[in-house]
Amino acid sequence: MAQVSTNEVKPGMKIEMENEPYVVVSNQFVKPGKGQAFNRIRLKHIVSGKVVEKTYKSGEKFDLADIVESKMRLLYTDPDSAIFMNDESFEQISIPFSLLENSRNWLKEDILYDIIFYKGHVVEVMPPTFMELVVSETAPGVRGDTASGRVLKPATLETGAKIQIPIFIDEGEKIKVDTRTTEYVSRVQ
Amino acid sequence: MYSREILLDRALCLKKARSFFSDRKYVEVDVPAITKHPSIDLHIEVMQTKVSDKETGYLHTSPEYLMKRLLSFGLGDIYYLGHVFRKNELGQIHNPEFTMAEWYRSNTSYENFLNEIVEFIQLFLPCSSFKRLSYRETFLKYTQMDYLTASKEELFNFAKKHIDIDQMWDKDTLLNLILSHLIEPCLGRDELFILDSYPASQAALAKTKMAGDEEVAMRFEFYYNGIELANGFHELSCSKEQRRRFLQENEKRKANQKKPLELDEKFLEALERGIGDCFGVAAGFDRLFMLKHKKKELKEVIPFSWEEI
Repeated sequence: MAQVSTNEVKPGMKIEMENEPYVVVSNQFVKPGKGQAFNRIRLKHIVSGKVVEKTYKSGEKFDLADIVESKMRLLYTDPDSAIFMNDESFEQISIPFSLLENSRNWLKEDILYDIIFYKGHVVEVMPPTFMELVVSETAPGVRGDTASGRVLKPATLETGAKIQIPIFIDEGEKIKVDTRTTEYVSRVQ
Repeated sequence: MYSREILLDRALCLKKARSFFSDRKYVEVDVPAITKHPSIDLHIEVMQTKVSDKETGYLHTSPEYLMKRLLSFGLGDIYYLGHVFRKNELGQIHNPEFTMAEWYRSNTSYENFLNEIVEFIQLFLPCSSFKRLSYRETFLKYTQMDYLTASKEELFNFAKKHIDIDQMWDKDTLLNLILSHLIEPCLGRDELFILDSYPASQAALAKTKMAGDEEVAMRFEFYYNGIELANGFHELSCSKEQRRRFLQENEKRKANQKKPLELDEKFLEALERGIGDCFGVAAGFDRLFMLKHKKKELKEVIPFSWEEI
């Protein structure tokens, strides 16, 4: 397997530690002028998102994680899984909702998702950073609420995501959201 | 990254540094940056190059060996202000090529030499006082352990409480780990800190002496806000002892899967001829200049960092 030295590890690289896949968050080089060099590496687990900080001697080796990313379109969902298709190979895969923890509320037919495979198995489905979605449920905005500083209200989107939106948005309107933070971005005309 | 203001001040500081040395009767020596005998130090990695199709040269990691040869000819007090090169050193306060000021003074005392270094640092930082503590006392203060008697397991367990490490390392590596991760960041809060009397095993090119039950190296390091600024020695002048250390370092290199190096016989001859009783120090110009401008990364104060070229 391809390896990378701890002093060549860069943010964004995907490496393997104790048979688990991690993405590198940062790598700090620590070296006294005449002493041993170390690398303090922050790693985020690709599936659980848990962040760890490990210290290694510079020059120790990591295995690069066997990670493949593929863009796939959501065809449809059935009661317990989502079915995606690769636009080029027409290959279809069915991913159970149990593997879709982070993207479960961002599934919309005909949208392209980044599917991440680790050793051939799906470990993550990444929705686009920004999505345009219809507000399926929200209470009508109450005039005058701005005075108390409340300018947001809860809403549910067509994909099931729960989000805070400005009080002037009504049910049935389409909005742009940031899926990383579940934040409202703008109204879509 | 380019900043006109910083580069103009950098030029001025280089000029001030040179005046500092010439005012004190130091002679500037611009020794070659390509050498046949790189530093033998296990923890300093060297960049290799070709001086002809056949012959290999090495970019110097410090001008030390050649400067000491000049000392042995009786040139007097000398300084070098220029670039040195260290492979695999890249980070916020490391760049593979950096500017170093290195100087040697004879007929002086330890205290006077330290004061002179403080004056040099004052070209960059407004610090008048400094604290000074031995390696052993410093270690004790921050870890409640005596480095000399602490076992590998005790050091490992202490480190493990604060740093996520998986493997058991040898004692010297664990000492280095604890010093660099848990002690150094605390040294010199808004004042200069001098760490001295190093373990004899980390003497490098310093004389050693007995301090009670402990053999200590007459080696010192300057810190400011946790950043290492300068390393100096009461210079080892005994050729025989120097040869013994070279051979010992080569053994360490072998144990760490590194190629042993051919000994620099001309340097050993120079010690034989005599370099006198002298002190020497190497200071990181870029780090001092970075602190002067209250920056956090070297790349903000050098014309181009490696990544920007």
